[in-house]
Amino acid sequence: MSDALHLTVNGERLAVSAAPSTPLLYVLRNDLCLNGPKFGCGLGECGACMVLVDGRAARSCVLPVGTLTEHEITTLEGLGDGDRLDPVQDAFIEEQGAQCGYCLNGMIMTVRGLLNADPAPTREAVIAALDHTLCRCGTHQEILAAACRAAGLAPSASQGEKE
Amino acid sequence: MNPISDAQAPDTDNDALRYGVVIRPPVYRLDARAFVCSQLLHVDREALAGEGVTVVTDGNFVGVVAASHEAARRAAARLPLRWSTPDRDHKGARPAVTDARLRRDYQWPGRLAWGAEPDWVIADFIDGGLRLAGPVANTERLRGELACLLESDPQRIHIDGDAEAGLGRQGSDDAAADAALLARALGRPVAVRLDPDPYARDAEALARARRLRVSGTADGDDFRVDDDLGYVSVPPLALWLTGRLTDNLLRDPDAAALQFTFVQESFLDEVAAALGEDPVALRLRHIKDPRGRQLLKSVADQAAWDTPAEDDGRADLVRGRGVAYSHRPSESGDAGSGTRSAWIADVEVNTVTGGVRLSRLVAGQDAGADGPLRPLLDASPLRDTLERKLLGLPSTPPPADQWAAPADRKLPAWRPSTPPAHRDAPGTPALSEGVDLSPAVAVVANALYDATGVRFRSPPFSPARVRAALEERARPGKRRWWWAGALAVTGLLATLWPFRPSIAPVARPAANLYSAETIERGRLVAEAGDCAVCHTAEGGTVNLGGRPFETPFGTLYSTNLTPDPDTGIGNWSFAAFERAMREGIGRDGRHLYPAFPYTDFAKISDADMQALYAYLMAQPAVAAPAPQNDLRFPFNIRSMMAGWNLLFHDPSPFKPDPTRSAQWNRGAYLFEGAGHCGACHTPRNLFGAEKGGDARLSGALVDGWEAPALTAASRSPAGWTEQSLFEYLRTGRSEAHGVAGGPMAPVVAGLAELPEDDVRAIAHYVATQMDAPLSDPAQSERAAAVVAASRAEPVGQEAGQRVFEGACAACHENGTATFTSAKQALALNTNLHSQRPDNVIQSILGGVHAEGVAGAGEMPAFAHSLSDRQIVDLVQYLRARFAPGETPWKEVGKTVADLRREHDQQ
Repeated sequence: MSDALHLTVNGERLAVSAAPSTPLLYVLRNDLCLNGPKFGCGLGECGACMVLVDGRAARSCVLPVGTLTEHEITTLEGLGDGDRLDPVQDAFIEEQGAQCGYCLNGMIMTVRGLLNADPAPTREAVIAALDHTLCRCGTHQEILAAACRAAGLAPSASQGEKE
Repeated sequence: MNPISDAQAPDTDNDALRYGVVIRPPVYRLDARAFVCSQLLHVDREALAGEGVTVVTDGNFVGVVAASHEAARRAAARLPLRWSTPDRDHKGARPAVTDARLRRDYQWPGRLAWGAEPDWVIADFIDGGLRLAGPVANTERLRGELACLLESDPQRIHIDGDAEAGLGRQGSDDAAADAALLARALGRPVAVRLDPDPYARDAEALARARRLRVSGTADGDDFRVDDDLGYVSVPPLALWLTGRLTDNLLRDPDAAALQFTFVQESFLDEVAAALGEDPVALRLRHIKDPRGRQLLKSVADQAAWDTPAEDDGRADLVRGRGVAYSHRPSESGDAGSGTRSAWIADVEVNTVTGGVRLSRLVAGQDAGADGPLRPLLDASPLRDTLERKLLGLPSTPPPADQWAAPADRKLPAWRPSTPPAHRDAPGTPALSEGVDLSPAVAVVANALYDATGVRFRSPPFSPARVRAALEERARPGKRRWWWAGALAVTGLLATLWPFRPSIAPVARPAANLYSAETIERGRLVAEAGDCAVCHTAEGGTVNLGGRPFETPFGTLYSTNLTPDPDTGIGNWSFAAFERAMREGIGRDGRHLYPAFPYTDFAKISDADMQALYAYLMAQPAVAAPAPQNDLRFPFNIRSMMAGWNLLFHDPSPFKPDPTRSAQWNRGAYLFEGAGHCGACHTPRNLFGAEKGGDARLSGALVDGWEAPALTAASRSPAGWTEQSLFEYLRTGRSEAHGVAGGPMAPVVAGLAELPEDDVRAIAHYVATQMDAPLSDPAQSERAAAVVAASRAEPVGQEAGQRVFEGACAACHENGTATFTSAKQALALNTNLHSQRPDNVIQSILGGVHAEGVAGAGEMPAFAHSLSDRQIVDLVQYLRARFAPGETPWKEVGKTVADLRREHDQQ
């Protein structure tokens, strides 16, 4: 039997019924129907489940909900404001930074977390931030270009050969 | 939520605020005839030069002011001072006793109370005026004293505090004067904390301020004060130390009346007890004044003196009732005038905690020709004052088993200073206005005697003093040596005799047999002792038992600790419970195995043992038979333990070390007693007994985990300090070490329930076992160097490196810090520097899931996603990269396979 826990998700205070040790990802997807974060490895290795906790990137499959009652959780659904996308999302569309798209939640949320902490990161910082967010399709160049565009850097290390 | 209330972080935005710590002379005390004090000969200010610390001296007053409390405390400890040795005491010689009169000696301490929370005093000195905030009473007396100390005008001294009834002086008065002197020297606001050192020491130094001897005939007629030595009111210590005390500060007629009534009424109560006469009847016989007799009769009627207080049957409470009467003559000295007071008080004394509550107070007053007859006063504010001032002073040193309430260490609300306003009128004396407090102390002393049979001949009646007195009374008289010898031999035989009698079962005590205070104290003992950790099966109900313990002798199961009469301890009397805890004998006479650490629990004090029993008996009873133990022959013969106990069990109670501080002794008591830390951290010999000597606390393997060494042999690369031990024990995490995992996690979760000072005491005690310093500025540099050295990838570990990159690096490689990044560097983790890989392998297989431990974080288990081969590669890689100076571990594969078995079962 589990008691109600109170979580703040995308600005809303919600009561969920879950054991405190339940991973946040399960509650988001199964109880709150927020399917932006994906289940990948379940061990914090791939980053597909990335959310923001207090504005910082967090792997939600390894976070027990019971520890998060005092924190602000943001999922991919909470990034834009309904009519307008987050600039990071715009950049990924602009650069077509996806193949199958399964990892995109992790990529976008990771970049958002990075920009929250450092609004003007270097290209090296962007690469380091995405280092352990995995893509199995091999779309790394497009993803990196999108991330750099979002960060206000030249989208590609090579000369801009767009269009 | 931050469980550490940090004294360094002021709850104020006043940047000008500084923190003061005073240093008292090595010898100082108020004897009945003189203030004895070492003289300050030399201060080496140069020793603290360039540290941003100000040293303030004034006569024998020494203080250190710094930007934080911690910095001031550290500087004060290091300041080189030279003091003279004071002259021998001027012992007041008592007059020779020549007649057969009854004589009793009483004492009145210079400090009666401690001061309310928050326990900080802040002083600011501006333009010759002083402003004070904190638990300081705004009394005309204190303002006069501070004015004398600062050579200022009393009208320019402003105290943010209530005017208080003048029962007696409190420790915060000393802190206020200290803060005032420091603030004047600095020219900015200074905060001083009411720490036991020096303010409880001050109270002790002033404890013999006044001594009174009363004598009378056996029937109490013709009694008089024979001998009256000392000081009625003792001004703040700073006045004595600076030599600025003047005679007129020592006069206090109100205090004199209070003290006189205390000795007179206590004495008459003693006479009544000796004669077997009713105390009210005896007084009525004595009081010649008709109005006084009338008042006492009326108060006794109102209080229903002859009807005893209702007893609700709590086993740990005793109740009593006392009476006190005073007649304070008016200034005219006219016999028919003056103020008569009659008070009757009921007290409840908790015999376990020593706590005293004033359950009822009836007070009446007749001011005769000078004022109205008030047969009944509003007694509730009086009761509050009495409880605060008489019943709460901490003693020095406190007993090692004292459980403190969590202290509120927050600074009082403080805004940047404005010059204190001139005040024409002194603060209104809110409580004492029109109420003569003279009988206040006597009435409580007499009620305490009625309740306990112990005569307190000096206030205050703090829990520690009350308990000590009760214990003293319970102790049997001194034995003759041969009798003691015979007992020792009998004791030895009793220990050796393998068959012990059962203790008759009792009906389960009612859950409300003990008072809430006792049960709460017992809860803390249970948390300190982690009873529930061993007595709860994995995922099972708390304290229901059934958790298996693999030992070299076979498997043991913990038993049901709930008060169920058939399967738990419901029909255990306290005697049976205590015998189990101290001697390892069950109620039915069977020997218990020392996996249950009665070897440590023997050190638990009587009071804590009672409280623990009270707590366990107040829990819900659940039936649950314990699984059958699975021990190999001959270890399944329980009576064998008689010989084991003789060889390895020391049932003697905990003895505080008088050469050590109260904090050290408190830490030792918790660590060695209820905490039973050695049960895991000390290796055991072939017989399963803890080893002694150098092996003590040198680390051991328990339940598949390594309990690391708590001695100088600790393998922590950055080194422990008292501060980092405290952080680890309080939050489950230390920046320079790691997090609490495995069986240590529930220990930290239990400690979270304890007052902060207790966890500090344990950290202090462990630090002395490790020879660790209080803090170490070089620690963070050393830690940074260790972390920097681990950046290089080791050669020949590519297989392990690949596992690390895939499974661990997302959190453990500190590229970009995310919310889920590990907060501790692996390079600083003691486990990676240990001689054994067990804890590293356990953490990988099972992860870190420390419920109830705020700082530990969460790591997933990899038992089901990494193969043995991968884990071996990973472990070797971790060792090579993060502990490059250590030799590679051997037989990692075998250890992985062994440890995996228990994870596979889950």
